[in-house]
Amino acid sequence: MRGFKELNPAVIMLYYLCVIGIAMFCTDPVITGFSLAGAVTMFLTIDRKRKIGIHVSFFLLFAVLALINPVFYHNGVTVLFVVNDNPITLEATLYGITASAMMISVLYRFRTFTMIMTADKLMYVFGKLSPKISLILSMALRYIPLMRSQTSKVRNTQKALGIYREDNIADTIKGEARIFSIMTTWSLENGIITADSMEARGYGLHKRTNFSVFRFTLPDRIMLLVFLALAGITAWAVASGEAGFTFYPALSGVTLTPLSITGYTAYGILSFLPPIIELKEAVRWKYLISRI
Amino acid sequence: MEILDIKDLSFTYPLAAAPTLDSISFSVNEGELVALCGATGSGKSTLLRLIKKELAPLGEKSGTVKFRGKSTEDCIPSDIGFVMQDPDHQIVTDKVWHELAFGLENMGLPQSSIARRTAEMSSYFGIEDKFDRNISELSGGQKQLINLAAVMVTEPGLLILDEPTAQLDPITASDFINTVKKLNRDLSLTVIIAEHRLEEIIPLCDKLLVIENGRVLAFGKPHDVAVQLYSHKDIMCGMPAAARISAALGAARPALSVIEGRELVRTYGNEVQPERNVNDTGNKDTALEFHEVYFRYERELPDVLKGLSFSVNKGEIYCILGGNGSGKTTALGCASGIIKPYSGTIRIFGKKLKEYKNQTLYKECLALMPQDIKTVFLRNTVREELEDAGTDISSLPFDLTPHLDKHPYDLSGGEMQLCAFAKVLALKPKILLLDEPTKGLDAASKIKIIALLKQLTANGMTIVTVTHDVEFAAECADRCALFFRGEIVSAAPPDEFFSENSFYTTAASRITRGHFRNAVTAGKAAELCLLNGRKAEKI
Repeated sequence: MRGFKELNPAVIMLYYLCVIGIAMFCTDPVITGFSLAGAVTMFLTIDRKRKIGIHVSFFLLFAVLALINPVFYHNGVTVLFVVNDNPITLEATLYGITASAMMISVLYRFRTFTMIMTADKLMYVFGKLSPKISLILSMALRYIPLMRSQTSKVRNTQKALGIYREDNIADTIKGEARIFSIMTTWSLENGIITADSMEARGYGLHKRTNFSVFRFTLPDRIMLLVFLALAGITAWAVASGEAGFTFYPALSGVTLTPLSITGYTAYGILSFLPPIIELKEAVRWKYLISRI
Repeated sequence: MEILDIKDLSFTYPLAAAPTLDSISFSVNEGELVALCGATGSGKSTLLRLIKKELAPLGEKSGTVKFRGKSTEDCIPSDIGFVMQDPDHQIVTDKVWHELAFGLENMGLPQSSIARRTAEMSSYFGIEDKFDRNISELSGGQKQLINLAAVMVTEPGLLILDEPTAQLDPITASDFINTVKKLNRDLSLTVIIAEHRLEEIIPLCDKLLVIENGRVLAFGKPHDVAVQLYSHKDIMCGMPAAARISAALGAARPALSVIEGRELVRTYGNEVQPERNVNDTGNKDTALEFHEVYFRYERELPDVLKGLSFSVNKGEIYCILGGNGSGKTTALGCASGIIKPYSGTIRIFGKKLKEYKNQTLYKECLALMPQDIKTVFLRNTVREELEDAGTDISSLPFDLTPHLDKHPYDLSGGEMQLCAFAKVLALKPKILLLDEPTKGLDAASKIKIIALLKQLTANGMTIVTVTHDVEFAAECADRCALFFRGEIVSAAPPDEFFSENSFYTTAASRITRGHFRNAVTAGKAAELCLLNGRKAEKI
């Protein structure tokens, strides 16, 4: 068994599609609660920098989003108080909190998604869809840093030659325009070399295969099935109408039937599965070290 | 067994008056390592590209090129591997593993055999630890090794390398050449390699092919070819030091390696020893002074310059030598004010660098020529470039008139360097900082640059140059300094500097060690031999 991060990128991608998709389509306090808690736990598990700033900014965003709904939307039967002839209702307030919690949970998920799915993993997933897109992405990822470093080299050289002064805006603009123009030439020039090199290595002669360093192993299959099953159960519970929540005109309350409980539990497990797998790996590793 | 057979190959570029290649014929046997040499513009690249049909230039071609008995037109790309000069631009993808797999993906191989071949190749080249890395994080030498590995995965029968080490420093270049030799020996791989830097390749090659003006000047075993080259100065100047000494002495059997060179020199007497050059450098004005300079790129990273102190006198050529990543280029960056040290002072003509405000530093005072010479140019023709800089073409110490209407990128390495000099000299700098001025240059261009630098200092300019090229430093420097771990550990005039070093020194110094004192250039060594005369003649 490997950690969540080491799973096949396609499986990771599918997990995120399921967990984010369900969270976005069901505005249900239980599902949103699981989603947010799971997303934050996941973030805390894999974040190595431990900077507090991101949490503060997400909390501020949450507060603003949660306030906007009751201030501008006055539907609902339970009036809490009235401001400037505008009723602030319990239903609108709760809806605001649920909806913003959902957004924040999705933002946390995207954070972890970008940390886990590095460029090569994304390319692998896209490569499965189209080998050409994958090659173009790979070439772009190679080319952009190269061009950026060359531009800064040109700029430094010109500065040390003192040809374009910095204290004069017109000269600076003129200098930048020249640098842009020569970088275009440079790109075309080097494009030719790259094209030569591709042709010399037989590009375009046969139908290309798409090699990748990622394998699709048994744990990947198992986890894929587990993710699909959990997402399927949740979707079934939600679609049957037993797991669901309406805010307007009055709060419906959470209905507890065997199916809805199963659905909620399934989503809870789905949401917390990655941090659990990561934690399990960490514990197992500690144990293995203690035996050495 | 014959693997490559070229008969009467001629080639003319469209609109060109004269043919670039004129009835070239030679053949290469399987398992041979052939070194191809010739001056810039002699048609080396054109010849190599004509062997690889995917890279063949457009133009009028006659004659035949046969690989394993069939015309190269019928070859598949994986028959012949080709590695080019620039390590950066022949790389296609962003990851090392993807680059290695690229050729195999193009052949449409299944996943399992690509996995096996890339794994095999990366362990052969010792790049397993870099398999998952981004190529942009690698050094030039590592990139070129990836290029070689990426060509070798397709198992070519013939490997062609077009000046693969021109952009590398000498130590990395020597490693690269040795890897090529290892491939040649282990796999009996046939290799044709064009090189400027012949010091390394000639002792290793089986055959030497010399072309001049598109014709085969000589082809055969390196010792036989070297004898025929004695009278060809423009090709001889790029040969190993031992060969240059043999040429100057007119030895019947030329020495090519350091060992052979030592044997040759020892047949001459050593009663006459050179005088130590006692050039009085005391009491000269200081042009550039570093005092306890510290610099690091980022707060968390270690210091690159650690208390760097040195001073350069007015009107001298000061060469800073040192390994990769020792901080040489960073020191030049500090001197030119592009990057700012966090501690220490830099004085230029006695005035602190910080006190040069508003670009006054770059006005008739100091200029930096970068390592990547292409970054100097911004315009579409050399003429516009020089007009922009305000260069007076007629006052230049060299002639650029044949190139005025070309794009600067179309010039050869040496011409590009001269053009950059023209642009820089228009600024009338008193101090000129040069970063690797001989990178990618052939021997003839190097001699031109050395002459130019000497002329400039004679007119009062101060030159500080950072270089890997010990032969260049020995020829032109007034003082050499060894840079190590962020500081200068020793500085001395080149005779003294190179005769005291035993590894970091010129080939001529290694050849004459223990026989002559202070003979660090091939010219000097030959001169001393002639002065002393052969031992046998004396007895």
